Amino acid sequence: MQYPHLLFVAAPLAFALLCLCLPFAWLRMASLVAGALAHLTLVARSWQVPAAPPAAEAYIALDPLGHLFLTLNSVLFLATSVYFVGYHRRKLVSQRVFLACILALLAALSLVAVSQQIGLLWVAMEAASLAATPLIYFRLGPRALEATWKFVLMNSVGIALALLGIFCVAAASGSADEAPISLTVTDLMQNANRLNPVWLRAGFLFALVGFGTKMGLAPLHSWKPDAYGEAPPPVAALLAGGMTLGAFTGILRVVQVCNAAGLATFAGSWLVVFGLLSIAVAAMFVVGNNDYRRLLAYTSVEHMGIMAIGVGLGASGSYAAMLHAMHNTLNKGVLFFLAGFVWRTYHSNQIRDVAGLLHRHPFAGVLFLSGLCATCGLPPFGMFYSELGILFAAARTSHWWVLGLFAFMLSVVFVGVMTAMLPMVFGEPSKPIEAPPAPVPPQRWRGGFMLGAAATLAALAFSLGAYQPAAVKQALDDAASTVNGPLVRVAVTQRPQAEAIP
Amino acid sequence: MNSQTILDGALVLVILLNLAMLAVSRLATCIRLFAMQSLLLALLPPAIESSHGNVPGLHEALVAAGVLGLKVLLIPWVLLRILRTGEIHEEIEPFIGFTASVLVGAALVVGSFAITAHLPLLAEPVSDLLLPVSAATILVGLLILISRVKAVTQVVGFLVMENGIYLFGLMLLKQTPLLVELGILLDLFVGVFIMAIVVYHIRREFDHIDTHLLDTLKDT
Repeated sequence: MQYPHLLFVAAPLAFALLCLCLPFAWLRMASLVAGALAHLTLVARSWQVPAAPPAAEAYIALDPLGHLFLTLNSVLFLATSVYFVGYHRRKLVSQRVFLACILALLAALSLVAVSQQIGLLWVAMEAASLAATPLIYFRLGPRALEATWKFVLMNSVGIALALLGIFCVAAASGSADEAPISLTVTDLMQNANRLNPVWLRAGFLFALVGFGTKMGLAPLHSWKPDAYGEAPPPVAALLAGGMTLGAFTGILRVVQVCNAAGLATFAGSWLVVFGLLSIAVAAMFVVGNNDYRRLLAYTSVEHMGIMAIGVGLGASGSYAAMLHAMHNTLNKGVLFFLAGFVWRTYHSNQIRDVAGLLHRHPFAGVLFLSGLCATCGLPPFGMFYSELGILFAAARTSHWWVLGLFAFMLSVVFVGVMTAMLPMVFGEPSKPIEAPPAPVPPQRWRGGFMLGAAATLAALAFSLGAYQPAAVKQALDDAASTVNGPLVRVAVTQRPQAEAIP
Repeated sequence: MNSQTILDGALVLVILLNLAMLAVSRLATCIRLFAMQSLLLALLPPAIESSHGNVPGLHEALVAAGVLGLKVLLIPWVLLRILRTGEIHEEIEPFIGFTASVLVGAALVVGSFAITAHLPLLAEPVSDLLLPVSAATILVGLLILISRVKAVTQVVGFLVMENGIYLFGLMLLKQTPLLVELGILLDLFVGVFIMAIVVYHIRREFDHIDTHLLDTLKDT
């Protein structure tokens, strides 16, 4: 078999087709879980094969960066599919299409992770957002429609700009003889000193803005609170934890090429600017927000900003960015799963309607609290270490103003999130909430599936924060050095004058 | 008349169509103008190839056929169909008036000529006009997207922008793999298809396709 890694794409697609064909709802649900489980099994097996450096012209290959993100996505999708078994209700309009779209999203994101050719990566990323669109419009009605329209339009513009960026990168490598341009990352990096720096800069900026729109970096983040607020919470978890990783991959591939071409400072400073702007926007809108799902969406904008800053700070920050990406995926899963649970319990999106979760559902309350602590970067959790790592990286590279702004805005977000969300957990349930007559009588097993999935992710996040096995550290290290690899230093010495060209 | 003149003439027509799309108020006319622009773009790859004295190959033929099928026939047909099922055919007064937006569009065209003159030339430019026209088309597409109210017009704006990017891609046509281009076309098709469905739902939900009513979701 020429491309064994295409199995990661083919397996979920096969189960998606199965979802479309199967006659009974419970069978389709089983097919969703089986698809996610099969994917995770394949991914787990792939870790036993020692990683080989991708061949220069291979379109599909598994490098450490893609492998890490593929694994994170796989874990998140399995947890979400289990959660969805408990979350789903009969009144869903077309469960077939919905489940098939979830699996198609997984397939598209897997293709993003394994594609080494940035054109192919673009196609996969666009496929991912197209698969996500019906998921957002799932609840029907004007509000969901508005969120879907904004999502489709902004993401289409973003992805079009990313395509322009990829064309600019191709233009940078254009040569006088009409030799075919290979847009594989390895090839571009090997020929980095022959790339035209002006076109490469333009390509990087367009790719950053384009994929940044999809990732939710400010200033093009405005679809994010709407989409995350209106989509069903498990879908929001997939978007916040999974699709952002895909878009981040797109940015990182171009960053790899820029680093190899000696444009590391240029790319890094733009990443830092966009990152700081995202955290600032999140800090502004988190304070005083009264919709807990929109608030969580703004924390997602914040975390995207943190990841961008980490990569922008160069080799020492990249490890922290990878660590942050891992914990962000786990944490967004936990928080949106619980947001869905809270919504099912209180039937309201408003923070002021929700109080005393710890009294009504002690277990859910504890999980929610742990998720909040994790998202704010409190010590036992992994994001504390990644944010600390970025602070250290800023200090080591003497970006003092970055360090100051970063620390200040993180504390604003911390105060904003905690003052808004702590009353949801603690506090007295003010009035006995009379549940509106539920179409389906509450079933305990539903809560079990929902909280079980959330608890698994929370336990994983907690244990990875408290103790990091050597294998995990190795994987993160490898992924970080894929972005700022040893190849960089070689290439920079070959091309010291690149920065001087305007 | 040599082939170079024909190419340049076609590119100038593309710019004129951009400005015309900014000027018209009837939605159906706007969509037809877009279809005409796409037709010009579909004929460009074989034309470029024959201007080099070669017979157009499979690659050019497939891309031309793809653009012809999607952007000239299918997508305008879908959009016109949506209009026909609805009641409203006129763009109501946009955020930027029609005359003003033509002026802004003209400024954008001048600006893109000024900026692209400073960019290093790619290997063997097909026509000196290709790069500035591509930049102008992208910018005009963005302008339509931002300044118009109807959902259908916003879709047209996105498509015009996509046309500009396609023009840019023409410079690299021979050097990029076919597989990726077909993937791009496929994604574009599905994307517009989904947009059309959403527009249809907006019309059904609100009885019209003004997007300024889509402003319930915001932070208080």
